[in-house]
Amino acid sequence: MFDKQSYTIFKFGKKIEQSVRSKRELLDSALPALRELFKLDRVYFFDWQQERALLSLKMMCKREYCMDMQEDISVLGEPEFLKELLRDGIADSTDLNYPAVYVLLKWTRPTMIMEGEEVKNILKTRLGVLRLERFRKYRVFTEKEKKLIKGVAAEISHNLTHTEREQNNQQRLNIATALNDLATVFASSLRLSDGLEFILQGVQKSFRFDRVRLYQTSHDGNKIKSVLGVDISGQVTTQTEDDLPEDERTLLRDVFDSGAAYRVIHNVVYIPLKVQRNKVGFLTFDNLLSRRRIDYLDFVSLKQFSNQIALAIDNAELFERVQELSNYDELTKLPVRRFFAEKFAEEMDRSKRFDLIMSLIILDIDLFKQINDNYGHQIGDWALRQVSQVLLTSLRQTDFPCRYGGDEMVIMLPRTNDEECKIVAQRLKDRINKIAIPSRYTEGKTVTLSISQGIASFPQDGQTPQELFHKADQALYWVKDGRRGTFAVYREVAEDLPKEK
Amino acid sequence: MPDSGAQTKTDYQKLVARFKKEYPDAELTVQVFTRNVLWKKIFMLKYPTAQETIPDVVQIPHYWTALLTRAGVAENLSQLDPGLSLVPFLPSLKTHCYKPGTKDIYSLPWWFDISALHYRADHLRMVSEDPEKDLSTWDGLLDICERLKKQFEKVEGYYPMQNSDWRGSLSTRSSFMEIWGRGADLLTPDLRQTQIASAAFKQGVQDYITLALKEYMPILRERGSLGTMMTGKASMLMSRKQGISSFAGRKAAPVRTVPVPRTGKSSIAYLSGMNLMMNVSGKDKETALKFIKWCARSDNQFIHASTIEAFPALEESFNKFISSSKRLEIYSGILASARTLPNITITGTVVEILNKVLAMSATEIVEGRFTQAGLDRELDKAAKEVEYLLSLYEG
Repeated sequence: MFDKQSYTIFKFGKKIEQSVRSKRELLDSALPALRELFKLDRVYFFDWQQERALLSLKMMCKREYCMDMQEDISVLGEPEFLKELLRDGIADSTDLNYPAVYVLLKWTRPTMIMEGEEVKNILKTRLGVLRLERFRKYRVFTEKEKKLIKGVAAEISHNLTHTEREQNNQQRLNIATALNDLATVFASSLRLSDGLEFILQGVQKSFRFDRVRLYQTSHDGNKIKSVLGVDISGQVTTQTEDDLPEDERTLLRDVFDSGAAYRVIHNVVYIPLKVQRNKVGFLTFDNLLSRRRIDYLDFVSLKQFSNQIALAIDNAELFERVQELSNYDELTKLPVRRFFAEKFAEEMDRSKRFDLIMSLIILDIDLFKQINDNYGHQIGDWALRQVSQVLLTSLRQTDFPCRYGGDEMVIMLPRTNDEECKIVAQRLKDRINKIAIPSRYTEGKTVTLSISQGIASFPQDGQTPQELFHKADQALYWVKDGRRGTFAVYREVAEDLPKEK
Repeated sequence: MPDSGAQTKTDYQKLVARFKKEYPDAELTVQVFTRNVLWKKIFMLKYPTAQETIPDVVQIPHYWTALLTRAGVAENLSQLDPGLSLVPFLPSLKTHCYKPGTKDIYSLPWWFDISALHYRADHLRMVSEDPEKDLSTWDGLLDICERLKKQFEKVEGYYPMQNSDWRGSLSTRSSFMEIWGRGADLLTPDLRQTQIASAAFKQGVQDYITLALKEYMPILRERGSLGTMMTGKASMLMSRKQGISSFAGRKAAPVRTVPVPRTGKSSIAYLSGMNLMMNVSGKDKETALKFIKWCARSDNQFIHASTIEAFPALEESFNKFISSSKRLEIYSGILASARTLPNITITGTVVEILNKVLAMSATEIVEGRFTQAGLDRELDKAAKEVEYLLSLYEG
């Protein structure tokens, strides 16, 4: 059976909004209920910052409404009053000239601490104070009322503990969802740089940092290779070591040399990225502009996620090195530049020795950057595969194509003169012009691919692989200058080209 | 809306009711936050969670415009309404509406206030033959404070100066007049370096802090428990509010208004402008624009400024406003000498940094462990932080 006081507290508890998501929402519901129950003129809520001996006024509620407040009040000169409040949980006001009582609220908030690499969950005790005022009719608070006020305060404290726990759980769930989404994007991304861009943008969006940056370093950690960043406007920026101010270069050494797993300075968090003994780089998140404190839970979650990022970067770098050692490009299946260079030099020697002719075509896909930007890198990759497929099926057995880099491709055509080379170029042009980007990516518009080609021939245009390459490249430059989708032979356009120094 | 006093919520409710009278179909609600809470929330506007309310219009301190434009939070109003013009507004308010380096309007002036010194003529008469002359310099003000303190030593809870800071602490914005007077500023004229570490800046801060150090002004005391100038528990108030409705018609407590005492050659007032900004992710931009334009109307500016004891931002309304009361005429001269903070990305952050320094000093003063050397060290540290911010965020 409930006694009358317990029943009142029970009813009060029922009255407080149960589906609140934050401390503020709970107070927004509890303070008017308190005002009504005790026929108060005004109720205040203060956070008690014990270490600074300050009561920080956060909310005020009167008949018409509740509102956020901000006012710091030193309680340094009130030791007796504080002692009484801590001991009895309730104390009469000593400085107001109307009836007012202070009542203590005590609740716990889940929080995390890191001990070395170990994350520990702890409960931190929080203190708050309510001030109940009756200034209109000067009705004093009776002892019976004070007892009930203490009971109601205990009910609010209980609800605060519950709300803080729920809020913490929700925050963890949000973080877990965000990190899971980011991990999915990362796993499905074909290119490391794209994946990193997505990750950094995602981290900024989910955690609402002012800036997020990834410093990639050499394995010994002594040199910054690149800095990928997302600024406050959401723009992606890239920088090299040379672009960085001296301070940031020193910072790098500090981060790695500190020996700590992390550093939190003001509103900046640095997380070194390491895979076993390899230094991969470090991540920094900052709220330098907004001055918002970086939540410890956010930091710990990102610290754990950073291991995945470090591993992915390390894997990608390993993959790039393996690719370099391979003769064929993984995406286009065409020979790679290094392999081509060997073959080209051999063929040139042979041509010189036996007085043979040969030609070279350099080509690239028109407006390839726009294809990537407009339809995404997946379509960019698709275009590269389609063009290389045409090359592989349209050339003779003796011709030797290669993916030179990006969307640039080179074809070596042994025992082929200009005119024969033009026929090959025309054939490639015609076949590639028939390739259309799937309409589902282009909102129904027909968008076909085209290539620009530059041609140079041995022995007329050059005596070394470098010379021949340079001439073909100049012809390509001429084509791209307003004649995209066509091809040109160097000697036929040489007059039009800017004079070389 | 940031909180502008205990009546903020009701004042804005009245404003909304008047707007709804003209636009009955418009759905409008107002949320009021303290400036501190608003500062934190404004950075969340770009990526709101499902639980967060997304405002369509936000009232912001005018020097936040550059920041919110850079952060991609503020909508380009010129793009929404190419006919939008700043011509009718007071010239000193216009630069704070643009994205720096452009003529694109991202916020519209709503109201502003300027600092002045209000004093109880009856109190001052007891300690000075010529209060206006004595109060024209900072040293004169300190001297008057000392004399008032002695004069009212038997009045419990009396302080010569009422604290106008909304936190009841030391206020960065109240220290700018003293800093400017000393010839220093937040930044150099080219806005590329800070002057926070300069001797003149530190001297200006010290001028202001002296009010608390010598117990001429209460700090970290609950304002509600302290008396006010009107109840006779204080004799002066340096405030940006013109106070016409609070001071007028109180014969027993006659209040006069003068420019803030000068620390240098001339008195420089602090102008604090409030602009209306539209949120890029707002859902009802049409109504939002209607509301902003409605607020920029002469009659509405006049009524609202009177209600909140500020000044209308339109030149015509301002002139009409100050000629409506003898007490307000002095503001014409004060406005001519007024300065404000620059509209660049980092201004809001710099104010936050200085707020922290002054909050620390306030605690140290109350705990009796304040030293000028300690404050100077903190200002040197703040200067370094600001230099770093300037290297990151230009303009």
